[in-house]
Amino acid sequence: MRDDKNMQYKRFYRVMPLPSTMVLLLLFFVPLFFTLSSAFVTEQGFTFSRIAGVFTDPYTQRIMLFTLLQATLSTLASLLVALPGAYLIATYSFRGKRLILALSAIPFVIPSILVVLGFVIFFGNNGFLNRILMTLFKLEEPPLSILYSFPAIILAHTFYNFPIIMSLVSSYWEHMDGNCETASYTLGATKAKTFFSITLPRLLPAIISAASLVFLFCFNSFAIILVLGGGPRYTTMEVEIYRQARMLGQTGSAAALSLFSILVTSILLLWYNRTQKRLALSETYRNSNRLIEKKPATLPGKLLALFYTIVSSLFILGPIASVVVRSFMASSSRSGAEAFSLKWYRQLLSLERATGHMNSALQALSNSLVIAALVALCTVPLALTLCVAIRKKEKGSLLELLGMMPMTVSSVIIGLGYYLISARIRGGLLTSYSLVVLAHMVKSIPFVLRTILPEYRKIPNSYIHSSLTLGAGPLRTFLQIELPLLRGAMLTGAIFAFALSMGEFNATLTLANSSIVTLPIVMYRLIGSYNFQGACALGTILIAVCTLVFIVSELAKGGKYDR
Amino acid sequence: MEVLMNKHRYVCVLVAILTLSFSVFAQPAKESKELVVYAYDAFCGDWGPGPAIVEEFEKQYGVKVNLVSAGDAVEMMTKVISEAGNPWADVVIGITDDMAQKMYDANLLQRYESPVLSDIPSFLHFDPLYRLLPFDYGNFAFVVDTERMKAQDIPTSLASLVDPKYKNKVILIDPRTSSVGLGLLLWTIEVFGEDGYLSWWEAMKENALTITDGWSSAYGLFTEGEAPLVLSYSTSPVYHVTYEETTRYQTAIFCEGHSTTIEGVGILASSNQKANAQKFVDYLLTEAQLTIALANSMYPVNSKTELPAAFDYAPKPKKSLSMETEILAKNLDRWLTEWTQVMSR
Repeated sequence: MRDDKNMQYKRFYRVMPLPSTMVLLLLFFVPLFFTLSSAFVTEQGFTFSRIAGVFTDPYTQRIMLFTLLQATLSTLASLLVALPGAYLIATYSFRGKRLILALSAIPFVIPSILVVLGFVIFFGNNGFLNRILMTLFKLEEPPLSILYSFPAIILAHTFYNFPIIMSLVSSYWEHMDGNCETASYTLGATKAKTFFSITLPRLLPAIISAASLVFLFCFNSFAIILVLGGGPRYTTMEVEIYRQARMLGQTGSAAALSLFSILVTSILLLWYNRTQKRLALSETYRNSNRLIEKKPATLPGKLLALFYTIVSSLFILGPIASVVVRSFMASSSRSGAEAFSLKWYRQLLSLERATGHMNSALQALSNSLVIAALVALCTVPLALTLCVAIRKKEKGSLLELLGMMPMTVSSVIIGLGYYLISARIRGGLLTSYSLVVLAHMVKSIPFVLRTILPEYRKIPNSYIHSSLTLGAGPLRTFLQIELPLLRGAMLTGAIFAFALSMGEFNATLTLANSSIVTLPIVMYRLIGSYNFQGACALGTILIAVCTLVFIVSELAKGGKYDR
Repeated sequence: MEVLMNKHRYVCVLVAILTLSFSVFAQPAKESKELVVYAYDAFCGDWGPGPAIVEEFEKQYGVKVNLVSAGDAVEMMTKVISEAGNPWADVVIGITDDMAQKMYDANLLQRYESPVLSDIPSFLHFDPLYRLLPFDYGNFAFVVDTERMKAQDIPTSLASLVDPKYKNKVILIDPRTSSVGLGLLLWTIEVFGEDGYLSWWEAMKENALTITDGWSSAYGLFTEGEAPLVLSYSTSPVYHVTYEETTRYQTAIFCEGHSTTIEGVGILASSNQKANAQKFVDYLLTEAQLTIALANSMYPVNSKTELPAAFDYAPKPKKSLSMETEILAKNLDRWLTEWTQVMSR
């Protein structure tokens, strides 16, 4: 009887990660294997010389060092900006709190080219900030030269990433049991001492988890670094991979460079994973006994909270608002001066004869929504099953690394892999849709994994053991004990999956042979045919849709402790 | 009971996934009688010339055409080459002269000396073996924002662009990541030679506000007013004249001449529809020329084509420069490396 139960238990956890592994295998590892294997193949046959060349070349090493440096600095800067915000959100209840969280995934849905333009419109030489300052102080030349320098890269990366950290850390923080802190105060420790010796160490799993995401994101950043950094002085591995693969058509060299990148990031990830796992095991789960205070108690506290809120909103909303404002502009007269206009929105809704790609905008919107919803619905269960296996298995950290891999690999290389697939499949529209959904799922799995895993590890083993002892099977335990405890994390994960899918561009274009149009695809086509305002209008719709979805899910998550 | 159900469920999922994965990697068979035409993405979109041309051609010749949008030009070429063992396309549209060598090396194209070639000026015949035939061309050029730069300040040559008065006034594009960026690199080599081009770039470092990853970000920065000069095409002002009714943006014509990019069309040797494919190519080079020029913002190759008035704002340069495909293919890697060394110092 006991043995039987044990078998059932083991089999359940062995079978759990199979579906997600299959998806990853099919749309990630198999194409990746074929692309990367070209690093070892030359006309003469098998060789290690390319790999050896890449590892020992001083130029590649310099680029790798710079790539690591900028990713590390960007991650630190994002943490610095995000943690006070996470504190405010986790500790106080205030108006607009849900909205702030809802805005956090928005940078994901805007294609990087619009983020770059948003930055330029807001911070640029002819940008909003400079024009205000020039009018105020009657200046001839723009006073702020923020862009086209190394700090601009860090600034833009921080804009992109601090909301993710804020959202992930605060959601973990909110669910943290407050008794330890109360005990610390009772024993006479100061607020600062309690924070640094009790709260911060307990938060580390969530912080590390979010930081690793941000690090990988910055590691593979491309357009932001080149455009806002000012050019080739700041070259990352991704640029070199692009040059080899796309401009010179040398897949072998690109694959060798990519293997170097993958190796470095994998080592870092393994280290992250280990640290996180060790830290998380010491944490226990509480369904939020934390006292949520109404407002900061002291005047300096209030002022600080206000200052932070204003600065960070300006920081994140500035570039986004620039995109929105731009979408309501059109040159109306012969003089070419731009004025307020609903032209792009009228074209979008077919109220006015659309010029060019605007024709397909509505179709693209519905495609994007359907695909993103499917991706969100399918990715969460998949990532969840991976989480179960990662926690239960002895070799869990290997599985965790595999789940994170889609983030460590350059998009150029994944793109080459997708060519292998698309060259072999000429199915109908349904096949294209399925492939696109699967590819988006692969891309979202790391994010959802990173959202759910820290929460999942907080569930004490004793809960599961009790349930099994009382006679429930592993499936029932999973469904009735673990799932309800993970509701919040699953929703956050679904949001990220939805946002990532809405913003995805390359895989969609490659796998669907352009037979499926999505919003980002139409946006790129508009930009390619000189219509930047039209692209901003579509960007605004993306932002609006996502904000709406996020607000709804935040409300759903809110539940009993949201007062 | 519960165990059994679980087992069943997972077995079903597994079987489903395995079936899907086999169907994914299975090789589909070549279909039917239609003419399969690969073109780059922008050619096939609603905005591109593709749909209108295909519709008209089908009507006139009664040949069914399947226009396949195959990514950008580089991706399309990669696709054609990767399908060599299982070819599908009959015609491929949009391989430019500067990237053609890889296509020649793959040896997949059929020679076709079209009778229409006599109407096309000889400087556009970039492939002496006629595996690729030119169907449109453009010139790289700097576009000026005349509201931000006075007429007397507009540069008249590549050499004058390094003048310190243009400090931070020019937006360039990275040749490692963009074909337009590569266009300027080749342009400077054509004008200043192998010995001189690097010193031009060295001097330009001060004048470049930024060097972007692609044409889109460069042109976006330009229309946002970040700098008054941008690297683009000589035909760029046509869009602003046609759709925004403004002549604010103008092409700066340089006395050294302008580098040319020529787009070519080719027939695959594997095609079993060669007669129809040839008809389609001839159609592209004659009746479709105006549609292509307007939709692509490029110049038509057929000298009999009459252009609308908006093209007056896209003056054809007096001198078109180009480079032999073979020389380019042999040296590109080295040039890009030298360029990177100079620019990242």
